[in-house]
Amino acid sequence: MASLRTTARLFAASRPLFRPASFARSYATVEAKSVDPVPSDNPNMKTFKVYRWNPDTPTEKPTMQSYQLDLNKTGPMMLDALIRIKNELDPTLTFRRSCREGICGSCAMNIDGVNTLACLCRIPTDTAKESRIYPLPHTYVVKDLVPDLTLFYKQYKSIKPYLQRDTPTADGLENRQSPADRKKLDGLYECILCACCSTSCPSYWWNSEEYLGPAILLQSYRWLVDSRDEKTAERKAALDNSMSVYRCHTILNCTRTCPKGLNPGRAIAETKKILAA
Amino acid sequence: MASFARPSLLRQTLATTRSPLLRQNVGVSQVVAFHASARKQILPPLPQSIEGTMNDPVPVPSPHPMEGSYHWTFERAVCVGLIPLSIAPFAAGSLNPVMDAILCSLLVAHSHIGFQAAIIDYFRPQRVPKFYSLCNWLLRAFTLTTAVGLYEFETNDVGVTEALRRIWNA
Repeated sequence: MASLRTTARLFAASRPLFRPASFARSYATVEAKSVDPVPSDNPNMKTFKVYRWNPDTPTEKPTMQSYQLDLNKTGPMMLDALIRIKNELDPTLTFRRSCREGICGSCAMNIDGVNTLACLCRIPTDTAKESRIYPLPHTYVVKDLVPDLTLFYKQYKSIKPYLQRDTPTADGLENRQSPADRKKLDGLYECILCACCSTSCPSYWWNSEEYLGPAILLQSYRWLVDSRDEKTAERKAALDNSMSVYRCHTILNCTRTCPKGLNPGRAIAETKKILAA
Repeated sequence: MASFARPSLLRQTLATTRSPLLRQNVGVSQVVAFHASARKQILPPLPQSIEGTMNDPVPVPSPHPMEGSYHWTFERAVCVGLIPLSIAPFAAGSLNPVMDAILCSLLVAHSHIGFQAAIIDYFRPQRVPKFYSLCNWLLRAFTLTTAVGLYEFETNDVGVTEALRRIWNA
């Protein structure tokens, strides 16, 4: 059996040598259509304008490409529309999506001027008005609707988002917490790090290199108020400079845009109070 | 990540004032006129640069409470203190040079902190180091001038609250 497998593997390895050039793989190129191929009898057509930029042709400026979909045949959410565009109209459209129910934070984008998750955003039923879909504002775009969140994740890592303890637990099993202490984490642990709030913050637009941004500061506050964490002093010292926290000017775009209904603005205000105390 | 302000009005005036210089090259000036987006932005965003590898955290700055928490507490105290100080002389109806002096010094401190925050927000020392320090020195000069001017006004003239009262009653 083993010998069979090795011969098979050898054969597989040599196969490309015998493959004719005409069978060589290349990227699929599809002529992009913009109108729903099979509208229903009573079509309810809506125009979607989507930001397009292709890194393979970096000299070409980003464009807004419009697609028309029959809302009667499309799901209720923006993500349904985007998936339908990708499946039926233009397979080159690129966006991130995973859970389609607002728990992964992949499909964060700017829809009709508001940063939100495409899977939690209903398609406006007013078909007279077009919907405009952009990537998250003030991010470096990888392609189409995909922003580069490298800096965001590096900043998240810098606040040490994990429990830091030196003393062993009382019973050697669990780090226990009173219901009141647990209640402090409500409204904080639900954050899915979709970056909607950070990319809606003007302070983060100007100073993203040093200012941490609302999402990261909400997470930082989540570990500051955790009763089980013992490195509160170190966490406070890491924030106590002019840039990390204090570039927040309580603009509150973060709270307004959060697709999960959280309040990063309040978390930052509480962080400032903790730092001042 | 920050692309700076793109004032379209300014750009248009720039394009029109610049056109005589480019008259020899008519094609270029026409392109300038028809471009929908800025050809010459003020502080355009730089190409993306990532320090270290993808998996390294962003460097944590060393603690500076004087620029951080103490600064914030002081700023809030000044803000809160200004409210009663600016109401009291008019509500109580008495002129007190000590109260006037405190009000003036808090006003100077408040405006200095506010403009300083604006400079830190919009002019990053990593990006425009010379302009950043120029702005800071300008701010210091203006603050000093304001402080000296207010001192002169308080000692040699009627003072801030009395002047406001006269303007109000005029």
